Amino acid sequence: MAIVSVENLRKDYRYVRRKPGLARLFSRDIQTIQAVDGISFQIAERERVAIIGPNGAGKSTTLKMLSGILEPTSGAAQVLGFVPWKQRRALAYRIGVVFGQRSQLWAELPARDSFALLRRIYDVDRITFERRRSQLVERFGLGALLDQPVQRLSLGQRMRCEIVASLLHGPALLFLDEPTIGLDITAKAAIRDFIREHAGAEGQTVVLTSHDTRDIELVCDRVIVINEGRIVVDQPTDQLRRLFLGHRLVTLRSAAAGIELSLPGVTRRTTEPHLSIFEVDTRVTRVDVVVQAALALGGIEDITIEDPPMEEVVRAIYDANGAR
Amino acid sequence: MPSTTPTARAELGAFGTLASAASAFALGVRRNFANWPVLMGRALFYLVAMAVLSALWDKVAAQRLSGTLASALPQGGLTLYVGATEWIALSIAAIHLRLEDDIRLGMLEPHLLRPKPYLVQKIAETLGDSLARLFGIGAAALIALALSGRAGPPLAAFLYVAVLGLLAVTVGVLLMTLTGLAAFWVRRVLPPYLIMQKSIFLLGGLFAPISLYPGWFYRFAMWTPFPADLFLAGNQMIAPSAATFAVSAMIQILWIAILSGLVALVWHAGLRKVLREGV
Repeated sequence: MAIVSVENLRKDYRYVRRKPGLARLFSRDIQTIQAVDGISFQIAERERVAIIGPNGAGKSTTLKMLSGILEPTSGAAQVLGFVPWKQRRALAYRIGVVFGQRSQLWAELPARDSFALLRRIYDVDRITFERRRSQLVERFGLGALLDQPVQRLSLGQRMRCEIVASLLHGPALLFLDEPTIGLDITAKAAIRDFIREHAGAEGQTVVLTSHDTRDIELVCDRVIVINEGRIVVDQPTDQLRRLFLGHRLVTLRSAAAGIELSLPGVTRRTTEPHLSIFEVDTRVTRVDVVVQAALALGGIEDITIEDPPMEEVVRAIYDANGAR
Repeated sequence: MPSTTPTARAELGAFGTLASAASAFALGVRRNFANWPVLMGRALFYLVAMAVLSALWDKVAAQRLSGTLASALPQGGLTLYVGATEWIALSIAAIHLRLEDDIRLGMLEPHLLRPKPYLVQKIAETLGDSLARLFGIGAAALIALALSGRAGPPLAAFLYVAVLGLLAVTVGVLLMTLTGLAAFWVRRVLPPYLIMQKSIFLLGGLFAPISLYPGWFYRFAMWTPFPADLFLAGNQMIAPSAATFAVSAMIQILWIAILSGLVALVWHAGLRKVLREGV
């Protein structure tokens, strides 16, 4: 059963472009940007869906419309039986939202106080609230941090608190907008594990946007790729992983002018003096094998392993699908 | 799964909103007492300001030039008046800056995703902040008054001022809320804030009772909300009476109702803009 249903949803933003000099006093140049351009999709109960795309693709705009804080220019949507922008407050009881770059906690207060206030805001009875809080705090290892002001927590600790805060009222649907942005590898892994396990155990549906392809691979079972406001691809993560997501970039800084690696599935991207970047197809050769091979050559001063930029992944998907 | 059914939540309705506002209010109070060094600093600033202002007004009162309105005030009355108005002015928490931050930086979005009205929560939290400050600065003021040996007003006046002070702070918070909501249109609220602040100082009578102003100016000021923020409470320190107390309280309550309506109107206009155009 679809709990999110989107039909030909469109959002145009209008803004006034300032003219130079005195001309601005007499005429207004109104520009229109199509942020979301007629998208349609459905999300079933318990699905974990990633909405990905480069900056300005329309991901966050879509998420805002689905959570009710932005009205579309045209089109229709239903989330858990509600029209989000018309029944925002009723819908709020049933959804949890995490913005990676925006805190919902009170910075100068301990997380414990924020949680207590959220209990009131969501009308959660005390027994249910305390049971849920204990479970989440224990799962996230937040016990020692609950009484520290949120502004003194690290980004990773704060993000764990944000996720707990978004789950205290037992939402059926979780919207996560860049939940791992700015976090270190350990913190990212902890959050991904938690989202996957918790959503599975509680039967929650998850809609996630991210620039990190690992978030998508490890959390979601379906990917919707948006570019320039349109859906380019909508398919299972497994299918997409086989084609596009199994790549890593290994950057080697060396004492020698250049490094030569001859391994299957490893292609050189660029070489500058003392800097070599290789693209590794992890379905053919694992990253640790590549690193070992590089270290065996000697003279390696620094190694960086990262995902290809989301823009590249989307471009590859876009090109492969020939959609334009 | 959600802990309360949608029907049960609908029944909670206004009670749920009040309960969450009460929690936000308590949180505001707690936050101030938790940050007690800041509260102490605020009280210390009040004492320093009063030391300067009382020296100034005592010197003016000592002249007691015949024929001036100041000469009609009780000895030391101006100092007591300013003591009350400063107490109120320094207790009003800066909700305009919080609103500006939330609106301008997009921090409003997480709040709009909650089932309780954002602005009610924010005002309740700010009133909690302001109440804690009223208490902290008020305690410092009373101690300083006792230690100074200065003659105070009758005891009843303190009760009147306490009640009117609470209402005055509510008026002040609503005025500052209106200022903060300007961020929906002007992004930076400093210009409207300066206009509001100077209006409060001048028409509200921060440094001198507006009853000392020319008659036409006094009558004009009394048609604005600003005396409800400062003068009406401060006046009880120089001319306390049960009758003026009751009238003052009614005027303040009237202004609280008018300003609440205005705040609701402006908020909804701003919210429409954000829901249509995004943050």
